[in-house]
Amino acid sequence: MMDTPAARLRPGRADVQASTSTIGAALPFLALLLLGVTFPLFGGGYWGVIATRACVYWVLVSGLNLVVGFAGQIAIGWVALLTLGAYTTSVLAAGNVMPELPPYLALAIAAVAGAAFGLIIGLPALRLRTFYFAITTVGFATIVTQVALAWQSVTGGGVGVPGPIFPEPFSSQWGFYYFCFSLAVICTWMTANVAASRFGRALTAIRDAEVAAEACGIAKPALLATVFLFSGAVAAMAGGLFAALQSYITPDAFTLDLSILFFIAILIGGRGSILGPLLATILLTALPEFAAPLVAWSTFLYAALLLVIVLAAPGGIAEILDFKNRRPLESNRAIIPRPDLVGRLLSAPVDAGALTLEQVALSFGGVHAIDGLDLEIRRGQVHGLIGPNGSGKTTALNVISGYYVQERGAVKLNGAALPLFARHRRAHMRIARTFQTPRVVGSASVLENVMIGGTIDGKGTFVESLLSLPRHRRDEAKLRDTAMLALAAVGLERLARVRVDRLQHSELRFTEIARALMLHPAFLLLDEPAAGLSADEIGRLAALLAAIAKTGTGVLLVEHHADLIFDICQHVTVLNLGRVLATGTPAEIRSHREVVHAYLGG
Amino acid sequence: MVESIVSTGLAIGCIYALIGITYNVMFSASRVFSFTAGTLGMLGGVLGSLFIARMGMPVAVGFLLALAGGAVLGIVTEIVAVRPVLKSLDQHLYVLSTLALALMIQQFTAIEWSTEPQPFPRLFDIARGGFDQQYWLPMLACAVVIVGLELLYRHTLIGRAFLAIAEDTYAARALGLPERGLRLASFALAGVIGALAGFAGGEMLLAFFANAPMLTFYGFVPVALGGMGNNRGAVVAGLLLGLFQQAANFLVGGIFASVAVFTVFIIVLMACPEGLAGAALQRRV
Amino acid sequence: MSMTRRQALASAGAAAIAAGLSKPAIAAKPPILIGYLPALTGPSSSTGVGINRGTQLAVQEINAAGGVDGRQIELITRDTQSDPTKAVNAAAELTHGQKVSVVLGPLNSGESLAVVPLLARTNTPQVHPCWVDSLADPKKYPMCFRNGPTNQQIGAAANRYVVEVLKRNKVAVISDTTGYGTASVKTYVPMLKAKGADVVYEGNVDAANPDLKPELLRMRSAGAEAIMPWSVNAGFLSRIINTRGQMQWDVPIVGQTTLGSGQTKALLDKPEYWEKVYPNNFRPVCYAANGKLPDRTNAFLDRIRSAKIDMTDTLLWWIALGYDSPWMIAETMKSAGTEPEQVVGYLNKLKGYPGVYGDISFTPDEHNGYPDDEIVMVEANSLKDGAFNLAPGYGV
Repeated sequence: MMDTPAARLRPGRADVQASTSTIGAALPFLALLLLGVTFPLFGGGYWGVIATRACVYWVLVSGLNLVVGFAGQIAIGWVALLTLGAYTTSVLAAGNVMPELPPYLALAIAAVAGAAFGLIIGLPALRLRTFYFAITTVGFATIVTQVALAWQSVTGGGVGVPGPIFPEPFSSQWGFYYFCFSLAVICTWMTANVAASRFGRALTAIRDAEVAAEACGIAKPALLATVFLFSGAVAAMAGGLFAALQSYITPDAFTLDLSILFFIAILIGGRGSILGPLLATILLTALPEFAAPLVAWSTFLYAALLLVIVLAAPGGIAEILDFKNRRPLESNRAIIPRPDLVGRLLSAPVDAGALTLEQVALSFGGVHAIDGLDLEIRRGQVHGLIGPNGSGKTTALNVISGYYVQERGAVKLNGAALPLFARHRRAHMRIARTFQTPRVVGSASVLENVMIGGTIDGKGTFVESLLSLPRHRRDEAKLRDTAMLALAAVGLERLARVRVDRLQHSELRFTEIARALMLHPAFLLLDEPAAGLSADEIGRLAALLAAIAKTGTGVLLVEHHADLIFDICQHVTVLNLGRVLATGTPAEIRSHREVVHAYLGG
Repeated sequence: MVESIVSTGLAIGCIYALIGITYNVMFSASRVFSFTAGTLGMLGGVLGSLFIARMGMPVAVGFLLALAGGAVLGIVTEIVAVRPVLKSLDQHLYVLSTLALALMIQQFTAIEWSTEPQPFPRLFDIARGGFDQQYWLPMLACAVVIVGLELLYRHTLIGRAFLAIAEDTYAARALGLPERGLRLASFALAGVIGALAGFAGGEMLLAFFANAPMLTFYGFVPVALGGMGNNRGAVVAGLLLGLFQQAANFLVGGIFASVAVFTVFIIVLMACPEGLAGAALQRRV
Repeated sequence: MSMTRRQALASAGAAAIAAGLSKPAIAAKPPILIGYLPALTGPSSSTGVGINRGTQLAVQEINAAGGVDGRQIELITRDTQSDPTKAVNAAAELTHGQKVSVVLGPLNSGESLAVVPLLARTNTPQVHPCWVDSLADPKKYPMCFRNGPTNQQIGAAANRYVVEVLKRNKVAVISDTTGYGTASVKTYVPMLKAKGADVVYEGNVDAANPDLKPELLRMRSAGAEAIMPWSVNAGFLSRIINTRGQMQWDVPIVGQTTLGSGQTKALLDKPEYWEKVYPNNFRPVCYAANGKLPDRTNAFLDRIRSAKIDMTDTLLWWIALGYDSPWMIAETMKSAGTEPEQVVGYLNKLKGYPGVYGDISFTPDEHNGYPDDEIVMVEANSLKDGAFNLAPGYGV
């Protein structure tokens, strides 16, 4: 076991907690696995068809879950990939266009085609708003069906093509059932691995707190592209299985209703969950079979269920089953940071340097937000930035962290200008920040939110996470240990497993600080961290920030609480109307005539 | 051939433009795009056929009832699918709630009305041929709506109140404008416009439940290309879309036409995500 | 009228109880389960709705006459909704779940294309009336029998009428995007070319497309002299007829039987649009040159009328076909037994089974049962009491 600082902290307890909760989380999956393996013993031939169909649908939905449930993209038209996969597999296996291929090879080729097409369908997500993207996916679904209808020489048009027949032992009904079931199990395992990896957490960060995700170094395009590739491949494979199950496919088998079914299963199951959408897929596949009239009304029922879920329980089945998070929390919780742990957390040495703004100017419309600002943040110092509302404090912070691009002047780190338009690169330069309004992933736990801060320190690739290879597991262990240490340092370790949306406002602020600390930042930019904190908490925050600076981190503290500023800052800059009004030590500022007049009062 | 392309293209373009305006009116009131816009268009045709052809009411009565039906659906959309979601932190829920509502209405119509396109009654007893009513009715409807909205927004108090809550909700609230009531009224207005589009286009599109997803898509293209909330842009884009689509239809046939329209749409949208006339995205930190 | 599973079980249960109570000494015989896959709803439901009326009447008559060897026929109906996917699901349920002895249907080619291979794998005898040629193949599907015409037979009659009788050489062939429509166009275009005709337009159009003017304008500018539509969708066909009328384009429309259905007629803008429309039909249900119907047909018409079955919105041949199928199965089972091999063995030797709709014959090498010479062309607007006159100029 690596001798990380965190490992020495509380040996064993975190591990025990983690392992019991893991077993608890795995139990439903094991139950379903058992049910699925023994199904042929009690399910008749007809229910076998339904069960196989549920497995095939789940193969697709498991991949789509990453896109919709985790990344939050409203991809309504994913049936396009089912169609593509079904036709590719069938046409290649039947030998319409080229010599017959073995069905497994046809399926593999379909998966590759699906990956490529998944990427194509997904690309607009990077440029378009939510609703626009949703509409384009619907358009894609229609187009694929139209092409299937028109390209008669290959797809048979309205006549259709026979589906592939997999060789022994998968050609019998139950044989094929086990084939699909195994693939469903593998997909469940893979996507559960992703969910519990830095990629899964990064996806939820993009979904719920995109701005914060960028600050943590998460590059949205690359991550979304990866997920679309995977999801497309898996959906196309499901298409091949679907074609084999149907034994014959025509374009009208691929309706928008089916696409809606997939999408709704994820929403009803609950975003950010694997178990929820799995249960929902099984439920929605089996439901219409219980009564013949239900079949005609099935889409109506799915839509009604979706509406109920959105209005009453947006977290879906996953939220309903989340008993762990219904246990009441302690009512008089106190946040007790441990500044002594900060040294262990930020113990890795970083090279010296300063973060400087030179004559930076930025206007919005006719308003000069900042007008020729000079600022120098030195390592190991707490630098306070104060001023009345509208003086440009937050704007300056946003310029440093890359959310705004200055019109004039330069932002330099160690003398080198920071690249423009590269918000997510700031994290790689060890510049971390918090936000005026806490930006967190509400449905995730405190620990998971903090682990998001360390995303870029992971070394394993997406595929390694998919297959839970050793490097992924090492990354996760290290990340978890570091995050627990960060939580202990800010005083929130007892709330590690609690859902963030149950926290009080002050706890959210400290969570953000813990997340920022995960970057081992050279510079930490804090945007009004004391807002909404009690006097006690401000005092403890002060001690924490002082300790952070002592380890060599340069801290920029944008604040309104003058006491906090004068308590811990070595240097203070006062802004007014976008310009520096005064800069110096706290003592100098406190007695500065103009500052007192304009801002401090008296 | 050319005159057919022009007359059909402009007529259907006007229907698309009207659905685009429906989207815009709902968006202006709530900053929400509702999936029910296309469903409103579909209901205009279905209700018109139901009241006039199947139940035998006079044309004017059927017309008013169809518009009333649209208003009711608009109000239901606001109360059930939009208002509850605006309060929550997750803004994207509105996509799901309006989608769910639209689907429920579409499926209900399919099962209770018919899964097949049903004929829409001929509204005026004039002989066919030449510049037929199925072409000029949608154009007339579009013109009436545009002029009406202009008058509403610029010359009436309630219209200016609509503009105010569209511009800046907080300021409007601070001025004491009844935000909720105005939003409700906006959605009712959008419902009337959508139903009018479907009714005027009934003879061209027939009374068919599957017009809903079709209009949801084709009615959104004018919004995307013309710019969010921009009604004039929606009209121009709608007419261009109609002409392009019909030209493709007449020259190469249905299947390729829809592929062509969609491909052009996505390319243009990727090049200009804010529309051909839209403003640059502002940062929101 | 479709029976839900619960109704079927309930009626079977009630029958069993009734039999038990009234004749306690004699054990009640289990019913014969026949699976039935009509499309009662959806875009291609015109066939299902019409055929179903005949099928229900036949089953009632068979059961009223004591069933087959004292066993009642229980028809287990599953509406395919014109959807091949739902047809596959239903077929799986009928064979695996209900364990039916025979399957009647599906009634549309698109659905049958998916279901026929499936039923072959489950060794269930099947009788269907669908037209697409590949749907009967004694080698691939030894238990599947077709008691209706093939596309080849139909096309031969229709194409002959257009090219040789009406003497139109430039032809436009149009269908919808269903499996039936697509396969028909693919079959008929080469047949026309082989006859020396010039196919100036061939297209598959979505049946729900409300505006067919672009297609007809393209046909006209290509110089078409006749339009041949192949679809069972009454709305689609009515729109073709209406557009021809609105354009005031004087060309004959020659094609699918549904062109003559009451459903199509009801959707026409003007009754005169129905002139010069020549659907194909079947001699036993058409007026001969002397204006009379065969005796068998007249007797059948009486039975329909007394059962109060509506003919005005459908076609007589569908009702007749629907009527013949259960009776043919009943006779098969009465003569040979209910096991699959018995049923198939008997059908393989069937010669001239006297159906109302036509005389059906099968051999082990030929599973297409309808005779060539009973396919005719008729005049749509001569519809009277469900039957038509032969088309003008139509010789034997």
